[in-house]
Amino acid sequence: MSSPGFAVISHLTAGRGQMGTSLSFHLFFAVLGVGLPLMMLTAEGMHLRTGDPVWRALARRWSKVFALLFAVGAASGTIISFELGLLWPRFMAFAGGIIGLPFSLEGAAFFIEAIFVGIYLYGWNRLSPRAHWLAGFPIALSAAASAFFIVTANAWMNVPRGFQLSHGRVTHVNVLAAMFNPAWATETTHMVLGAYLATTFGVAAVYAVGMLRGRRDAYHRKAITVSLAMAAIIAPLQLGVGDLLGRTVAQHQPATLAAIEGVSHTESGAGLNVGGIPLPGHATTVFNVKVPNLLSLLAYDRPNAPVRGLDTFPKVDRTPLAGWTRLSFIGMVGIGTGLVVLSLWYWLRRRRNGPAPEDRYTLLALAAAGPLAFLANELGWLVSELGRQPWVVYGVFRTASAITTASGLGATFAGFTILYLGLSLVTVWGVRRITTGTPDHGHAPALSVA
Amino acid sequence: MRLSDFIAIGLGLALTAYALLAGADFGAGILHLTFTGRPHQQGSLTRTIGPLWEANHVWLIFCITILFSAFPAAFAALGRVLLAPFTLVLMALVVRGVAFGVLSGAAGLERADRLLGRAFGAASVIAPLLFGASAAAVAQVSSAARTASAAPAGGTPLSVPWTGLFAGMVGLLAVALCAHLGAVFMTSRLERAGEMRLVDGFRRRGLQTGTALLGFSVLALLVAAWKAPSVWHRLTTAGLALVVIGLLATVASVISLARRRYSTARGATLLAGGALMWGWFIAQSPHLIGTRLTIDTAAATAPALTALAVAGGLVLIAVLPAFYLLYVLFARPSPEVTE
Ligand code: HDD
Ligand code: HEM
Ligand code: HEM
Repeated sequence: MSSPGFAVISHLTAGRGQMGTSLSFHLFFAVLGVGLPLMMLTAEGMHLRTGDPVWRALARRWSKVFALLFAVGAASGTIISFELGLLWPRFMAFAGGIIGLPFSLEGAAFFIEAIFVGIYLYGWNRLSPRAHWLAGFPIALSAAASAFFIVTANAWMNVPRGFQLSHGRVTHVNVLAAMFNPAWATETTHMVLGAYLATTFGVAAVYAVGMLRGRRDAYHRKAITVSLAMAAIIAPLQLGVGDLLGRTVAQHQPATLAAIEGVSHTESGAGLNVGGIPLPGHATTVFNVKVPNLLSLLAYDRPNAPVRGLDTFPKVDRTPLAGWTRLSFIGMVGIGTGLVVLSLWYWLRRRRNGPAPEDRYTLLALAAAGPLAFLANELGWLVSELGRQPWVVYGVFRTASAITTASGLGATFAGFTILYLGLSLVTVWGVRRITTGTPDHGHAPALSVA
Repeated sequence: MRLSDFIAIGLGLALTAYALLAGADFGAGILHLTFTGRPHQQGSLTRTIGPLWEANHVWLIFCITILFSAFPAAFAALGRVLLAPFTLVLMALVVRGVAFGVLSGAAGLERADRLLGRAFGAASVIAPLLFGASAAAVAQVSSAARTASAAPAGGTPLSVPWTGLFAGMVGLLAVALCAHLGAVFMTSRLERAGEMRLVDGFRRRGLQTGTALLGFSVLALLVAAWKAPSVWHRLTTAGLALVVIGLLATVASVISLARRRYSTARGATLLAGGALMWGWFIAQSPHLIGTRLTIDTAAATAPALTALAVAGGLVLIAVLPAFYLLYVLFARPSPEVTE
């Protein structure tokens, strides 16, 4: 990376910073956009079955919050799709014709989603209760589909297939082979589950905070129950899919694997670094705990399989941010494991239909788990993106060759960063306006919401 | 005609859908600004576009994905030269989305609502202004400059005068078109909902914005003759029929509004907007950027285009009926405050 002497950060760093900031901002809302519809559907379905007004109140409250978050998600997603061209024109000129298909299909998913969001959010009084509930299904399905499509594109960047290069020109394009590259299944499943996991724990956290503040009513209990019931199914699945994804990386992105697992020299029968936390800027790691042969076993199914070390790759072909990649990975896996433990522990204590654990520590743990589950998603993206460096398309196209030649990225990066900070504040304030306003008419004041 | 030409036509249609449908939503934002302090008018605006604007906005995403899948070289070239105006457009779009989301989510303090309304309105002016200016600037790029930067690596930066007089004029024209679309849509919707009390205010706005639209159209043409001769030349040859249709339709819209024929006015305004867009496309074809990059040179490989055409067709088969359902269901704004 070159850095002009007078600039505070280089052109490339500004572009990457802007892309990363935009994506992290968007991802927060995207995750909720995938997860909340599922929860609204569940609550509204429970209302149709049981007639219990608390379920309906929950569904309505969530759908109002969803309306705002969806608007922010749509706007921030638009920014990203423009930024692909504004920041990375050379990359898009190369990749657009190969990986455009999932993006176009994603457009279809957005259409269906946005149309039914309009019908669902504004149709409470225009549709029969059943028809209204059914109108929620296309939202949940197309939201998951849009996550699916976008992530196949990212999987292609990690494991590019479906084209040939001759003299710098793209030939023999096979868009289906590009979309269904070897990483598509594991990456997309991992992302969609990650979105559900963050939403369920996020919702549980909101109501756990409410209970900690003394609002221990049916409304809060039901919200926590339904979230954790979903979470308890998804969290262990995510652990398994994460392991599969690790194997995909091991097979197709050896340099990335070495970075995320902290393998600096080639080892056969490599052990899994359970600790080995890097201190960025230092060559050493702390908490070096190693489980013998486990990494070889996990990645290649053979306890003595060799694992290539980072130092076997030419310096220009390995990520300059190996330490940060490893840190993000440890964070994600640590949080993922913690979420599994927390949800199982909750249900073990609760057993069938027994009283829910509502002591202070359980509630505090739930309150912390919500933000951490969101953090795990962001960290996962950092693993994927930082681990792939210096490539934007692994092994094919370098990030440094992808950046725009237009000048002024320092200014746009600064502008967007300030804007995102402001918008985050306004959004939080907007959600508070919705949740602290008068509760839905016709319900007892006891149903006030966190 | 080649497959790439059909896809370019599809792209033009999608862009027209965005300009007219989302344009009316921008118009609602602009009118919202002009009705500051009149909660009934403002409320009817937010209630009307509430269920529709997200779906209309997706036309933009759809255009972008078609552009970069089918014409990656054009997307790359545009991205490079329009960094500044599009950054501002994007900022306006996201501010608008957040402000509208918070505003329609729940009522708050009056001062806060007024501020949000201002942000929503201002962003609704800025976005079409810069979209229009960018379009005009791109149309001005001429083949007189050095050869096209179709190659992925580098290429000469085009000079795109998006701050010039002609660009500014077309930007104002776009703002007037949006505001007029918004006003005309509102009159016909409110009339059907039987809210005659509110119709009059929007009719007045429709007359004002229609006149402004006509004025800016004529001015933009004059400025083109003076400052952008290549555009003027193409508009008065290939695009002439559409220019005339557009001007006549605008006049028809104003006359119908004056005679309280609201659905006729709506049809005329849509025709005017469509003629404006297609006048631009026809004048520019077969080029995607000014007279520089042709549809053919910018096109992706044949298998990519085929896949895209199939996918795009399937998308429309799935989406258009749903769109129809949405518009039928919300053909009138609900009289009550909805949630
Ligand atoms: C978790 C899955 C996920 C991920 C990783 C992304 N998105 Fe996203 N995106 C969604 C899931 C989603 C969504 C759930 O479908 C959204 C969120 C809220 C919404 O409006 O739809 C959305 C909205 C959204 C929109 C607005 C669509 C509309 O108007 O409804 C665009 C253009 C994008 N995204 C584009 C992108 C791009 C270019 C990404 C990365 C390169 C990306 N998204 C990552
Ligand atoms: C096909 C879709 C995608 C494209 C074209 C894309 C492209 C890029 C590019 C060009 C960069 C800058 C290079 C780099 O620093 O790595 C980047 C960075 C990044 N992307 Fe991706 N990406 C895609 C998918 C995603 C998605 C869906 C997410 C998650 C929401 C994501 C998360 C990130 C993050 C967090 C960074 C910042 C990393 C950094 O600053 O180095 N990416 N992306
Ligand atoms: C618990 C054990 C987990 C393991 C072993 C695991 C494994 C992985 C691996 C190896 C990657 C990198 C893929 C690449 O480089 O492309 C990854 C990415 C990712 N992880 Fe995890 N993960 C775990 C938990 C979680 C949790 C709990 C979340 C979120 C709630 C999450 C969210 C993500 C996301 C969003 C990505 C990037 C997108 C993707 O590749 O799908 N992960 N994970």
